[in-house]
Amino acid sequence: MARKLLLENVHIEGINTYDVYRKNGGYRSVEKALKTMSPEDVVEEVKKSGLRGRGGAGFPTGMKWSFIAKPDGVPRHLLCNADESEPGTFKDRYLMEKIPHLLIEGMILSSFALGANQSYIYIRGEYMYVLRILEKAIAEAYANGWLGKNILGSGFDMELSVAPGAGAYICGEETALIESLEGKRGNPRMKPPFPAVKGLWQRPTVVNNVETIAAVVPIVNEGGDAYAQIGIGRSTGTKLISASGNINKPGVYEIEMNITVEEFLYSDTYCGGIKNGKKLKACVPGGSSVPILPHYLVCKTAAGQDRLMTYESLSDGGFATGSMLGSGGFIVYDEDQCIVRNTWNFARFYHHESCGQCSPCREGTGWMEKVLHRLEYGHGKMEDIDLLWDIQRKIEGNTICPLGDAAAWPVAAAIRHFREEFEWHVNEPKACLDRNYGLVAEKIFEPATA
Amino acid sequence: MTFDLKNNASNHISNREGSDTGSGSTPKQPITDKKFAFIDGISHEIKDGETILQFVKRIHGKELIPTLCDAPNLEPFGSCRVCSVDVALTENGICKSVASCHTPVMPGSYIYPSSERIQKLRKNIIELVLTDHPLDCLTCEVNNNCELQEVAAKVGVRKVRYPEGKTHLDREKDLSHPYMTSDMSKCINCFRCVRACEEVQGQFVLSMAGRGFESHIVKGSEVNFFESDCVSCGACAQACPTSAISDVFESKSVANTEKTRTICTYCGVGCNLEVASVNGKVKSIQAPFDAEVNQGHTCLKGRFAFGFYNHPDRLRTPLIRRNGELQPATWDEAYDYIASELTRIKTQHGPDYIGGISSARCTNEENYLMQKFIRAVVGTNNIDSCARVCHSPTALGMQRTFGTGAATNSIIDLKQADLIMVIGANPTEGHPVTGAKLKQFAMKKTAIVIDPRRTELARYAKYHLQLRPGTNVALLNMMLYYIISEGLEDKDFIQNRTEGYEEFKAKVLALNLDEAEKVTGVDRKLVREAAMAYAKAPNAMSFHGLGVTEHSLGTFTVMQIADLAMITGNIGRRGVGVNPLRGQNNVQGAADMGCQPHQGAGYLDVTIPENHKKYEEFYGAKLPDYIGYKIPQMYDAALAGKLKALWLMGEDVVQTDPNTHHVKAALEQLDLIVVQEIFMTETAKLAHVVLPAASFLEKSGTFTNGERRIQRVQQVVEPLEGTKPDGQILVEIMNRMGYAQPAYHPDTMLQEISQIVPFFAGVKWNELGDNGKQWPVAPDGSDTEILHTESFKRGKGKFVAAEWRETNEIVKHGQEFPYIITTNRELEHYNNGTMTRRTGNVKILTEDVLLIHPEDAARHEIQSGDMVCVISARGKVDIKAKVTDEVKPGVFSSTFHFPEIAMNNITSSECDTDALCPEYKVVACTIRKSKGQYKENPATVLN
Repeated sequence: MARKLLLENVHIEGINTYDVYRKNGGYRSVEKALKTMSPEDVVEEVKKSGLRGRGGAGFPTGMKWSFIAKPDGVPRHLLCNADESEPGTFKDRYLMEKIPHLLIEGMILSSFALGANQSYIYIRGEYMYVLRILEKAIAEAYANGWLGKNILGSGFDMELSVAPGAGAYICGEETALIESLEGKRGNPRMKPPFPAVKGLWQRPTVVNNVETIAAVVPIVNEGGDAYAQIGIGRSTGTKLISASGNINKPGVYEIEMNITVEEFLYSDTYCGGIKNGKKLKACVPGGSSVPILPHYLVCKTAAGQDRLMTYESLSDGGFATGSMLGSGGFIVYDEDQCIVRNTWNFARFYHHESCGQCSPCREGTGWMEKVLHRLEYGHGKMEDIDLLWDIQRKIEGNTICPLGDAAAWPVAAAIRHFREEFEWHVNEPKACLDRNYGLVAEKIFEPATA
Repeated sequence: MTFDLKNNASNHISNREGSDTGSGSTPKQPITDKKFAFIDGISHEIKDGETILQFVKRIHGKELIPTLCDAPNLEPFGSCRVCSVDVALTENGICKSVASCHTPVMPGSYIYPSSERIQKLRKNIIELVLTDHPLDCLTCEVNNNCELQEVAAKVGVRKVRYPEGKTHLDREKDLSHPYMTSDMSKCINCFRCVRACEEVQGQFVLSMAGRGFESHIVKGSEVNFFESDCVSCGACAQACPTSAISDVFESKSVANTEKTRTICTYCGVGCNLEVASVNGKVKSIQAPFDAEVNQGHTCLKGRFAFGFYNHPDRLRTPLIRRNGELQPATWDEAYDYIASELTRIKTQHGPDYIGGISSARCTNEENYLMQKFIRAVVGTNNIDSCARVCHSPTALGMQRTFGTGAATNSIIDLKQADLIMVIGANPTEGHPVTGAKLKQFAMKKTAIVIDPRRTELARYAKYHLQLRPGTNVALLNMMLYYIISEGLEDKDFIQNRTEGYEEFKAKVLALNLDEAEKVTGVDRKLVREAAMAYAKAPNAMSFHGLGVTEHSLGTFTVMQIADLAMITGNIGRRGVGVNPLRGQNNVQGAADMGCQPHQGAGYLDVTIPENHKKYEEFYGAKLPDYIGYKIPQMYDAALAGKLKALWLMGEDVVQTDPNTHHVKAALEQLDLIVVQEIFMTETAKLAHVVLPAASFLEKSGTFTNGERRIQRVQQVVEPLEGTKPDGQILVEIMNRMGYAQPAYHPDTMLQEISQIVPFFAGVKWNELGDNGKQWPVAPDGSDTEILHTESFKRGKGKFVAAEWRETNEIVKHGQEFPYIITTNRELEHYNNGTMTRRTGNVKILTEDVLLIHPEDAARHEIQSGDMVCVISARGKVDIKAKVTDEVKPGVFSSTFHFPEIAMNNITSSECDTDALCPEYKVVACTIRKSKGQYKENPATVLN
């Protein structure tokens, strides 16, 4: 049985309450850190653990923390990014809903490590009920002396509050999140300056994902080295995966980062295979913005090696034949699903969520959606496919924030791997209205020549 | 400097391989401590902090990289991505496209500003933008002056591949506002207007609503321009690269071809304007980005309120009073009449029975001529100007403490300042461009505002000391007290640069804090905190306005401000100093040119024999060597029969001087009143002769702004038929009266002035350029940004202590009239409003109102919009009330822009003890609800 570090106690009745959480070893790490460690020690343990950002980018957390500027007399802030809105990703919600004190415990450790006395959890506005759970847990933490002034007599003060977003995906981008938290329109900021230098209220700020912050708890409890022993290579520790789509057992799984995709997809411990005995057609392994993989590249890399559920293995082959672990939103498509329709659906999402600041993204996401809509509904032309390719190329890398990339990648990958399916939509305008493409063509199951 | 790194590197290698050429021992290092980057393979030196766009522009000009969201006066934004360039870290390395406008240049990087890939990218971006932009260029207001059009042409978009889809081309135009217009179907979402509204004006009216494709510019909460909080500065219109936001004058149209650089006629900020004219008519005004004073910004008065210049109400013929009525006359008739009357009075009574009031609205040259006319031709020192009623205490107070009565620093110094202290000034309304800069400052750094009203700036300031009107001296004494008692004075500065400190210190420390706290009504803890902040700031800069000077202790307050600067060493370098916000466009110049009874041109005391002799020789005339009348003394003299004639150039004393009944009574005693004016003002109505003058758009000369900057006013259009520039009128009357004065021309006039005004020594018309020069200007032409850097003009700075005492107005009338009314300005109107009331500004602000605190309003059962009657010992006015907590209980506030209100009916004749500046700011009054109706006045009707 694989080890669970975050969700180990999630099944315990009442673990969302302080008393049960505490009885089951909760807040041990805070005692350890505040009584026996310096902030630098905590940073050191996190560095040793090899923990990487769980929000999608996978940037080493210890390194991110060490970048924070420390000018005299200027307060620093830790912000927890709980604006989980990526289609296919719902792990943070599960964690906060089931075991809210784990996040609070992680917030205390991380704030201590960063010297931040005022920290915020910025939560997706649609998670209003989760916000209430968190607020209740925070109140319990205050009541029991884990938050507030002079925690455990250590001299460390910390205030923690939750701030809800107002329904914009873009506010999950760290600088847009900061703008939103400041009460402004959530437009991403230009970088530099980076938040580590000028973030919230122009003060040094670190923004970390919920899961990242929660992972600091086992790291402090068991030591960075112990944590680093789990997993393979630079993919250390455990990872929460949100599994969805045409599988038998959708849900949130905590995996050690050493299992194969095949095991994750087909074993009964995890997804339990494709639903209704259908065949696998494609998989988006890391949330809607990462490139889609055709079935023949899901379990094996282009080189024929087993693909693992790790940062490195999932991106093996680059965008040509690989994808990304991303935020761990694992979406599975069976043979009945239409790639054009799915791509249009994603494009519609990014069109809706583009903040409108950068012209390539503002106009480009709109046109991608319009062109995809046309293709899906049988009005497309062959040159539309090239046009789509052209637009996504102009968006990618040409925007202030990564939303442009996130909008471009799924379109690019869909055309790259499923061009024939797009062409079929052009050639069979009537048929594509009547039924999903997956029903009529078997040949897509053959690997593309190049 | 440019060199090819590759060639140097190969030289370097060959040097090493060469045997004994001698240079081998010291090989040339291609890379020194200077930093370099490559543009298309050629190496160039980079400057610290430069962005790629700045770097490439500096080397290749602005043609190489097109931009859309970038603007000269805005921070980089990086949203249009048209400025993208390819950057590689190694030669022929992998290129990444970055937005050049905000990306710093990496030393050693390889920049390709127009690689094939980038050209394609730009073309694609513009193509995308064009999918939601109307292609009706030929009928568009900004055709041929549209940045989108220009960039589209440059990147070569030939067709738009995107088929018809949902667009925003059906958005409706907003024509609600007298000046601002918008047609959001032309919007390309570049955010330039939003940023201009934020970064330039700080008004936050424009913002982006909606996301992505649905994102769109909104005004306020999706209202139109007129309903929004827009202050009509026009920064957004000027920033907009298309015609999405523009103005009713179509200032971005290429039809407005002829452009003339000149200086704004309104306030003392001295904005540089670019006036477009067609066929001898003014079409529109914009603010040049390269102007040092206003950097592409100006306010609604400067930008839009020029319509008065050819208003039907303009005076177009001389008028002579015959049988009690002003009747048209020829210029010759008018001159003859004036000359004979002046000669008669001079012969019968002597020259001192004649006086002149010059105008801070006129040029330096005209002011110089005016005082020369009164002194050298009439033969009296009875010359004064409206500086008397505004900043005369500043001039006197700063002369006594520093030796020079002018701003010590420049507005640009705000960049170096850490704290500002604004006393008795509401620059938001009175000096909008500087006001916007101060507001930006207050939003980012520490500001102290000392003002009886919670002005806009006070709302942004960290410290607002909301004192009772008339207690400046007590409050500043508290600040001085805390600085000294906490030991925060700059001992070195005091020791080396000043005198009179010990005596001063003893007086300050004798302050009765309890009394001071009580009379000012400001918590002493707050005063202490503000004083600490001022004293501890590395660079503290103070600004003051008429709320300091228009008091019975105005001169002393100015000296206290100087004391504060000296005691903390905040003088003589960048980012510090004492900076009066001079009210009118050329009030500094009017004083500089000698329009005051005790000092001649260049501030030389006329009673000192040496100066007297110098002036007599220079003017070639006999001059009096005693001081003449100041303005208030002129009225007293008239009432006493000691003054028989008064010449007023562009000065409406009846509406603007305090205690109107008194002023009118005095004027009615005179045998001769000559008024040079552009409109029939309240004063002109009483004149015996009215001479129609030309406006600032119709003449040339120089204005000196509040930071001593002499700038060129250049004629844009010919004077209206029948009118003449004031300078020409003065020259003609001087010649008519037998004094040979050459024809008016700014060039030759400046030559004359530079010979007598010491600090104008190096001022030459042709050398002033677009941005002028700040006096003192040395004979070699070099000017001065900061005064008193090494030593004070008077040698050592002099500390002068001041003791607060209640003004006579309150002592005499406080019992009977328990409220205090203080007068101020509104943004939309200028002074007596003769000009602004004849522009679209009246549609924005239609009347004077009385600000009254809710408690006082409740006591008198007054609601907003009710007519009230405000009564003082002099008279009463009917005015509309506005209930607001901007003022404290017991204090009212109003303006005097509209003659139908005639606010100065109630103001008093109390004056500053030393400079005789009237006390407009403290008037004892009482209030009652009135049955009075708002009086309609034809002066407010527009053409």
